[in-house]
Amino acid sequence: MMRKMPALLLLPLLLAACDGMPRDASGTSERISRTGTMRVIVLPATPDAAPALDLLGRYAAAHGATVARIEAHGEHALHMLEEGDVDAVVGHFAKASPWKTEIALSKPLTHGEPDDADMPVLRIARRNGENALVLATDRMVAEARR
Amino acid sequence: MTVHGGIAPAIAADVRRGELLEWWTLFWMSSVIVLMWLTMGASQAMKSAVIEDFLSLVPAIVFLLAARWERRDPNRRFPFGYRRGNSLAFLIAATALLSVGAFLSYESITTLVRREHPTVGGVTLFGHTVWLGWLMIAALVYSIVPPIILGRIKQPVAERIKDKVLHTDALMQKADWQTGLAGIAGIVGIGLGWWWADATAALFIALSIVKDALGALDQAVAELLDGTPRKLASNDLSDDAEDLIATLKARYGDVSVRLRETGRYIDAEVDCPSPADVPTAADLMGDDAAWRLASLSFRPEPSDPPA
Repeated sequence: MMRKMPALLLLPLLLAACDGMPRDASGTSERISRTGTMRVIVLPATPDAAPALDLLGRYAAAHGATVARIEAHGEHALHMLEEGDVDAVVGHFAKASPWKTEIALSKPLTHGEPDDADMPVLRIARRNGENALVLATDRMVAEARR
Repeated sequence: MTVHGGIAPAIAADVRRGELLEWWTLFWMSSVIVLMWLTMGASQAMKSAVIEDFLSLVPAIVFLLAARWERRDPNRRFPFGYRRGNSLAFLIAATALLSVGAFLSYESITTLVRREHPTVGGVTLFGHTVWLGWLMIAALVYSIVPPIILGRIKQPVAERIKDKVLHTDALMQKADWQTGLAGIAGIVGIGLGWWWADATAALFIALSIVKDALGALDQAVAELLDGTPRKLASNDLSDDAEDLIATLKARYGDVSVRLRETGRYIDAEVDCPSPADVPTAADLMGDDAAWRLASLSFRPEPSDPPA
């Protein structure tokens, strides 16, 4: 019995899992498709935000949506992301950012990962748990860096 | 082998088998830890599973140490030998198991209370970006195989050599594979967008680990306080101890009989004058279990216990 139990327990989970994993915990991707809007904040003083906005624009277009810029700065922006009031924040973040567990930071868009983990570079911050959006944008960042 | 040192020849082969199993445990569980470490990313569930696997090495290590001590002969500084090292190892193993259960409970409860939504994104391997969750599931599937097999092989050996450390280690192995399963359920839950699935599954398992650990701790304390020998899997008196008390009372009348356990060995004390014909361990315990009885003493004039 003990030997069979893991397989028995896993089977339904794995069967259920194969279809469309991962999904968003709060349904951001579906909401973007439904409303036709992806809400994005570009942090002030991010002069090189263009590649990130281009990438998010392509993501939105793939969901039949457009990017709507929202104005906010500093921690306000990150709190809005945590609360799900916006879908992404573009700005300069360090790999060892104090916010790294509160938000999901992408890999750098325009450089390789800097040797200094405290050096801020252009990244896209996503809301934690929105794993479909996170994986899709991770893929696009990986392609953009190639 | 002497009265207070060495391993009884009747169980020497099984003790060596137990030691071999523990070396295998250290080898396989280390490979599991390395693989999980490489794939854990930012997942709290995976981090907990790695810490759990790391702590699960403790019973295996203390078993190997205790078996070494047990082989040492008594000396002037330790005239009763080192056999009680096994009892001490049992206390350490039980404490390790309790720490695992308590740690996992804490992690799961705080995740649920804070409503943390775990993020598992993509990882780029050989030019392809795949969901890290799939790699985590693969690592977790690997992590449940060795403990299921090793735990099952250890159980009967622990029973034959009456070794509570090895038994606790088999329980730890059960905790390992259950945590692995909870981890898989958790990652699949994350994939389905159920942020709470992971922590809820982990909490149920953590509570069952805590229950096993408290039982083991109860037994470990009983053994260190010279309690009557307990069963391997519960705090009830062991069958061979009950039989020995009955046998001694049948031979010497309704006298006071005290048994205690030093590691895997039983010491018996009977309040009556030494009989002319002192029975052998085999007379009292049967041939197969004779090794269990390390000493039998008679106290001719029992004094009143101190007030």
